[in-house]
Amino acid sequence: MTSIEQTSLNALPKESGLAIINSKAPFSSNHGKDALDIALIFASFEQKVSLFFQGDGVYQLIADQDGKLVSIKDYLKTFSAFEFYDIEDIYVCQQSLVNRQLDEKFHIDGVQVLTSIEFSTALNSHQHVLRF
Amino acid sequence: MSTLHLVRQSAFASNDFAQCLSVLDHQDSIVLMDDGCYNLKHTLMDSLIKRIDGTININVIASHAQARAIEPTTEVKRIEMSDVVQLTFNHEKVITWQ
Repeated sequence: MTSIEQTSLNALPKESGLAIINSKAPFSSNHGKDALDIALIFASFEQKVSLFFQGDGVYQLIADQDGKLVSIKDYLKTFSAFEFYDIEDIYVCQQSLVNRQLDEKFHIDGVQVLTSIEFSTALNSHQHVLRF
Repeated sequence: MSTLHLVRQSAFASNDFAQCLSVLDHQDSIVLMDDGCYNLKHTLMDSLIKRIDGTININVIASHAQARAIEPTTEVKRIEMSDVVQLTFNHEKVITWQ
């Protein structure tokens, strides 16, 4: 590692935990549910978890959805448990919202909308990454 | 020879919808279902709506759009799954884009 890289790494907030990237829409696959399960398992062992929503993954956060209409057990409701598990860092890619003509109206509180640069900076400050 | 196009994938995540539009012919019908509902907010849909001359009809499964908190525009007809059965009889062929 060069000295330049070391300096830039030190400048970032020390977040050494796990980053989970959600990149799939909620109802057509199990990816979102799997990511949620992993997040809650890590958090219940007091591991620091940050959630990233990018691409079609941003649909997981949008308000007024109802999985029951398509006969799906709505795991999105479990997102409201994040605060009890001390999962506080929830990031969503602004560009992905804009591309999909979505408002910043989410079904949970504490979601941070980040620009592409902020999003990548936040992601790169994590030691481990899982993508779903 | 008209074709019924069943679009089941998000154009933000796959090329399916773009490919569907590239082979779309007069008198064809499109049904957006499952993640295909997300295409209602895609720029491809805006250009399709400009292109339609009254012979192509665009439908969406109402419950699938509502589950995803998407409000269909007036150019798009809301239908139920049972209406898809009738649509399959009205066209010679069916292509499922998934």
